[in-house]
Amino acid sequence: MKRLLSMLLVVCVLLSTGATIITAANESKITVWAWDPNFNIPVMDEAKARYNKIHPNVEIEIVEMAKADVEQKLNTVLASGMREGLPDIVLIEDYNAQKYLQAYPGAFADLTNEINHQNFAAYKTELMTLQGRIYGVPFDSGVSALFYRTDILAEAGYQASDLNNITWDQFIQIGKTVKEKTGTAMLGFDPADGGLIRIMIQSAGEWYFDENGVPHIVNNEAIKEAMVTFKKIVDADIIKRTSGWNEWVASFNRGESAAVITGCWIIGSIKAEESQAGKWAAAPTPRLNSPSSVNYTNLGGSSWYVTENSPGKDLAVDFLKKTFAADEDFYQKILVAQGAVGTYLPSLDGSAYTEPDPFFGGQKVFSDLAAWIEKIPPVNYGLFTYEADSAVMVVMPDYLAERIDIDGALRRAEAQLKNQIFF
Amino acid sequence: MTVNPKMPRAKATRAKKRGITLHDKYGWLFISLSVITLGVFMLYPIINSLYMSTIASRGMIQQYVGLGNYRRLFGDTVFLQALKNTLLFFGVQVPVMLILALIISSLLNDKSIKFRGIFRTGIFLPAVTSLVTYALLFRMMFSLDGLINTALLATGIIREPIPWLMEPFWARVTVMIALTWRWTGYNMIFYLSGMQNIPDELYEAARIDGANKLLQFTRITVPLIKPIILFTAITSTIGTLQLFDEPMSFSSGGVTAATIGPGNSLLTLSVYIYNLCFKYMPNFGYAATVAYVIVILVAVFTIIQFKLAGDRR
Repeated sequence: MKRLLSMLLVVCVLLSTGATIITAANESKITVWAWDPNFNIPVMDEAKARYNKIHPNVEIEIVEMAKADVEQKLNTVLASGMREGLPDIVLIEDYNAQKYLQAYPGAFADLTNEINHQNFAAYKTELMTLQGRIYGVPFDSGVSALFYRTDILAEAGYQASDLNNITWDQFIQIGKTVKEKTGTAMLGFDPADGGLIRIMIQSAGEWYFDENGVPHIVNNEAIKEAMVTFKKIVDADIIKRTSGWNEWVASFNRGESAAVITGCWIIGSIKAEESQAGKWAAAPTPRLNSPSSVNYTNLGGSSWYVTENSPGKDLAVDFLKKTFAADEDFYQKILVAQGAVGTYLPSLDGSAYTEPDPFFGGQKVFSDLAAWIEKIPPVNYGLFTYEADSAVMVVMPDYLAERIDIDGALRRAEAQLKNQIFF
Repeated sequence: MTVNPKMPRAKATRAKKRGITLHDKYGWLFISLSVITLGVFMLYPIINSLYMSTIASRGMIQQYVGLGNYRRLFGDTVFLQALKNTLLFFGVQVPVMLILALIISSLLNDKSIKFRGIFRTGIFLPAVTSLVTYALLFRMMFSLDGLINTALLATGIIREPIPWLMEPFWARVTVMIALTWRWTGYNMIFYLSGMQNIPDELYEAARIDGANKLLQFTRITVPLIKPIILFTAITSTIGTLQLFDEPMSFSSGGVTAATIGPGNSLLTLSVYIYNLCFKYMPNFGYAATVAYVIVILVAVFTIIQFKLAGDRR
């Protein structure tokens, strides 16, 4: 009885180790981790199909997880120091890139000599550069825009030219008129969302940190103006307050707000409301009054990274090289199918980009966005974007309620941020 | 089997004196699986996390800091806010919920009430609903133009819609309402089962002596189900101090939002631990330190509750 049990055990152990050896030896397989079944996953599927046409023997497994789960698994496996259990290619949000690169040195493959990064938007390459080496393949852009309802704006007496290259103050003024004349709010607005602040400060080429990665909030004119503007928007009563993503999307899908200012990835959600076809247009994002601020900025976006110790590393690099870093037609396809605006510069004047979009009243909206991508000020997001984002937004309710003045708010935010950063 | 399981006790004791018997061997064999599993998955993590709490890390880059992490806690405003929020949830929500559960259960224990089964099921039902479903529904109901505001406006109780999830105070109120809705029925079931064990004669005697319902409740019901009240108080304390699900699902966007609730008003210690590991620069050591704070809090509050209840067992 005992012998039988132990034999069974041995067989089990042998079988399982055998299985791992077999999978490890299968070098013509790539595993990819990504999130969003409506965006990144179908894009990767398209890339897979194209690569398999050239290399039919390569098996590409695309694992779909929620974004938080990807980050959770990646952090856990990397921190444990294990080399198994990691994918060959992983999608990482741009705000997190430096954090992963610096917290897990040697975990990601150096692609400086593998990929021609000159072909990608400068700001995307910048955020994945560490000590002169470039570690990823840039993917989608979060180039932001002022999307607005032409019909509602026209009712308030505004034309496209009135919204072109405006400042936030002008935007607020327009919003007041719109609210007054049509009763519609100008923006769906989540008071807990720090996205607008990030849009504003990147437009001035600033971030929460200076070039050495030291928190830079107290004397940062861009952050100061961004927070003041945030309050002006709230005080002007031109917003429809929402909580969470669904309510926010519903605010413009239902026609309760006349404009959306965010990354271009929102286009899919805007177009989801087909009854509003032909009533939308896109203009450059409003800028701050500060002379360094431009009308071109970014919110979000992510890129592909190859893990250094994966068995399929070379294959994974080759896969990315031949699809995301070479295939212009691929980018046209994903733009049409998923609305994914890539950052691969040679693809940005392709046929799909120059096509007039009837949903946007015939505006060549993607061609406009592509032109703005190249003008986005590059900033180094550093290691602690989420800590900083939280530090600024924590003081926001007190600042909005005027329990604290702007300088006090900035001081408190910086103090909290500094406290979050150890050694 | 070579050993008769019905071996007389006397024989077994004698055998023990000679050393390990077959009986013992099998005993160890049978419990070995659970002992090893417990050791690997419970004991080892507990000890290792204590060691981890002396280390600060940026992902793989680690630094031994001794008690540095514990000292950091006192200056960490985010931690202090999380602690404050957690204690607030504990201090306000737990008593309200338990008192409510007591009242409801004593009402439903009245044998003259019709359809008691339906009421009991109805009140218990929230405890078995899925978290995501109810969080989603609550967020819809408590949105600015949601059901609750519409109803309150229509009845004239309020004039302006309440910004439920958009202002720190109201966000906490919303989560407390949600927690109470979900867990009152669960505690009520314990009280009901306790109350059903109280003999009717006691109430009858009290009635004859002229005690009214309130007096019966405070002098008979509560003292007799005190052990159960203590039990629910302790489980609710632990549950609230580890509160994670509701803040995560009620804050806008959960992981992606800048703060957990407006101005971090819903940030609890458990959510902070999550953020320290997965959202912020991964610092598992400091996260372990915060986890130990929860352990200490639970221990302290449980001891206090035992003392207050005067239970010597």
